[in-house]
Amino acid sequence: MSVGIAEAKRERSERRRGFLLALPSFAYMVLFFAVPLIIVLVYSFATRTSTGSTALSDWNLDAYRKLGEPIVRNVVVRSVILALVTTVICLVVAYPFAWFCAHQRPTIRNLLLIAVMIPFWTNFLVRNYAWRILLSNGGPISSFTEAIGLGETNILFTKTAVVIGLVYAYLPFMILPLYASIDRLDRRLIEAGRDLYGSGSQTFRRIVLPLTMPGVIAGSILVFVPSMGAYVTPELLGGGKETLLGSYIVTQFLTARNWPVGASLSFVLMAVMLVSTIVYFRSGGKNL
Amino acid sequence: MSETITRRLPAWALRTNGAVVLIFLYAPIILLVVFSFSASRIPGQWGGFTSEWYATLFDDSRLQRTISVSVKVALVSTLLATVLGTMSALALERFKFRGRKVFDALLYLPIIIPDVTMAVMMLMFFSQAFDLLDSVFGIGLSKGFATIVVSHVAFNIAFVSVVVRARIAGMDATLEQAASDLYATRWQAFRFVTLPLIAPGVLGGALLAITLSLDDVVVTQFVAGPGSTTLPVYVFSLIRKGVTPTINAVSVIMLVASLILVAGSVGLQRANASRGRQQLRTPGGTS
Amino acid sequence: MNEPLGLQQQMSAAVSLRGISKLFDDVTAVDNVDLDIADGEFFALLGPSGCGKTTTLRMIAGLELPSAGSLQIFGEEVGSLPPNKRPVNTVFQNYALFPHMSVADNVAFGLRMRKVPKSEISTRVQEAISLVRMTGMEGRRPNQLSGGQQQRVALARALVNRPKVLLLDEPLAALDLKLRQEMQFELKQLQREVGITFVFVTHDQEEALALSDRIGVMNDGRLLQVGTPEEMYDAPVDRFVADFIGRSNFLKGVLESSDVVCLSNGQRINVPVVATVAVGDDVQVSLRPERVMICQLDAAPSGVAKLSGVVDTETFLGNSVVYRVALDWMTIEVETDHRPDVARHAVGEQVDVWWRDDAVAVVKP
Repeated sequence: MSVGIAEAKRERSERRRGFLLALPSFAYMVLFFAVPLIIVLVYSFATRTSTGSTALSDWNLDAYRKLGEPIVRNVVVRSVILALVTTVICLVVAYPFAWFCAHQRPTIRNLLLIAVMIPFWTNFLVRNYAWRILLSNGGPISSFTEAIGLGETNILFTKTAVVIGLVYAYLPFMILPLYASIDRLDRRLIEAGRDLYGSGSQTFRRIVLPLTMPGVIAGSILVFVPSMGAYVTPELLGGGKETLLGSYIVTQFLTARNWPVGASLSFVLMAVMLVSTIVYFRSGGKNL
Repeated sequence: MSETITRRLPAWALRTNGAVVLIFLYAPIILLVVFSFSASRIPGQWGGFTSEWYATLFDDSRLQRTISVSVKVALVSTLLATVLGTMSALALERFKFRGRKVFDALLYLPIIIPDVTMAVMMLMFFSQAFDLLDSVFGIGLSKGFATIVVSHVAFNIAFVSVVVRARIAGMDATLEQAASDLYATRWQAFRFVTLPLIAPGVLGGALLAITLSLDDVVVTQFVAGPGSTTLPVYVFSLIRKGVTPTINAVSVIMLVASLILVAGSVGLQRANASRGRQQLRTPGGTS
Repeated sequence: MNEPLGLQQQMSAAVSLRGISKLFDDVTAVDNVDLDIADGEFFALLGPSGCGKTTTLRMIAGLELPSAGSLQIFGEEVGSLPPNKRPVNTVFQNYALFPHMSVADNVAFGLRMRKVPKSEISTRVQEAISLVRMTGMEGRRPNQLSGGQQQRVALARALVNRPKVLLLDEPLAALDLKLRQEMQFELKQLQREVGITFVFVTHDQEEALALSDRIGVMNDGRLLQVGTPEEMYDAPVDRFVADFIGRSNFLKGVLESSDVVCLSNGQRINVPVVATVAVGDDVQVSLRPERVMICQLDAAPSGVAKLSGVVDTETFLGNSVVYRVALDWMTIEVETDHRPDVARHAVGEQVDVWWRDDAVAVVKP
């Protein structure tokens, strides 16, 4: 066999090998992920018939127009606000915590990080359920506030309970990227900032914060996006009263049987996610 | 070390915040365990010690059925996702091929897509697919065990792939070349060199897949059939009807299961970390 | 230049490259290389990073396939074979020891892959391990070994297969200076002992000079010159070679006849007979600093080439003194032995520099 041909042949067989290796999962992801995604997109342009089934013949933007209607708009606005509040609380709590972790001895630092990881691996439903017990009327928190003379707290099935649950669920997502970016921060830069007559707050605002911004953005996306689409937490802690986007979409499918509206809202949700991700990568982030 | 910030936010404030965060993270879990042994019929109130709620679990046949469905779903979907995810990780990390970028992007989506959207996608897909199969081939299929497994694999391939890729990326590619230089065929090089070295990553990916499969409520709720409910979906529906001491006990069982998986993955991470350090030391060994 | 060996020698060439080229996405990494490496030779491929030397070695190993040309090992065409079908083994730059296997398992790997009988494997592994003086370390993992020990295991792992040619990719680069000098000596010793052809790649000219029987210098994918260390140092044919191996002054000029160069200041000097450059071409005359003499003005012996100038700087280096002498058209570096009893030249002093005709080499610019 001629030498140049052997080279081309090896190149081709390497490519074929790679392709064959990827093929089963590629095919799987196309069939069971890409195709479903396209179906959702197609359905979001369809119409709900009077019988509750869906007509694919009549293409329109009705489902998207529905987003402007007060009911849906309220749900979207409420979801955005709750997700934002959750994100801000997580950020405010997590930043000093991540800073604290990054400035410990390696042993303690690793223990703290593992302590943050464990709840992330713990069953999601169980974590939400625990708060349901804690916040229940006459439950531990209520008894505690009563005992110290603050009276009963009845926050279960309120927005506050939902936010507590969301913060609890997604706090680790904020801490870990923040920790990573603070840990990378060159300590000498802070010293240089101080040396150049920056006050503590100036140094923080002009040096530390910009340099840890990738972590702030990554953490915020990782908290904001799932909060927007949360379903289990608002159901269990909001008691279904505080309908959020996630619950509303589920209702459209399981009860109202209005698939086009559910599909269009799912798509909006995914658009939020995609835009956030693109913003993140544009801002110089590398890994989520 | 960090005097600037320390001056702004005194050390005690940082330490207090740290303590509050840890209490916030762990108190709910610990209290849940405590109350699962409370004799009071109202969950969340202490009424003396009992273990009777755990005993009632063994009488609940519905519960046992959902547990067995959950375990089967988790095992089957994890096995499939681990094999497929590892293959795709190898392909993406070690080969160039046509469509590589598209595949890479496609594998990225399930990680960031919200649960609800994923659930909606799978529901619509199966309903369309079953309609199609029924009208064209006259095959009547319905949602059940298989649809749950298919859906779990669909989101888990991506997670396994990410974990395994990180491991492969950390592995020196010249090791495979050394194997082929020492007369190993492609398969032997994979079997005796690549596979043993990426095994911790594969195991880590599998643990993550099991955890996510046992965690999932939303997607499963959308694709489960009447006789094929998983434990989380069943418990979710129970909680929505009202909390009972029995749910406390079930939750603690689920908690223990996930803690076992955590222990596995934390142990694995530490082993990886120490081995990673050793491998860093390997080349050159200049001290 | 490397001239093709005579027919008889060609028969016994261990490695023979003819017109070997390698392209990576239209970038030429190795450009039309002809090279014969004799059986039992310790051969160095020397060049800066990115010059194509490692790619050449990887093509001999089979880790890359050439884009064009013919590659023979002991007369057998192997250019299109995968690495596991070639009678060569490689010691990788970072050794590439399998971290999950013991020393013994690492060394046995190649024999196991070739399905050598078990009893034979254990004897051969023992032999190889004792050859590199690692007996007693069989059960260790690579990460429990020092850099030098890993290097030896890598050697044993390759040599145990009794390859016809052993390839070494920067085998000493990862070691610190002292260990490197020790291993140089051991490597040379080992090569004599096993009598196998060693081909090694290095960017370190001293290492190449110290270790090899012959050196090939590469730059920009081309093989510029092949020869013994002495030939490479004393008679470089290319400016790059003269510059890369040792230090040199380069005097611009034109080749007037096969043994006369007219320097760019108009002065004519005699040079050894040149065959690699055509008469009338621009050339450079390579002049090693230690072969240039320095003396007071007009004190140079008669009948030698000489230039006059002013001492610009004077640097004491312990065993030698280096002067930079400014001529009106260039600066020449002169290195003299340091002798306490001889007075040194002061900066600003008018001096003559001179050399004998055989001290220079005419190189392609």
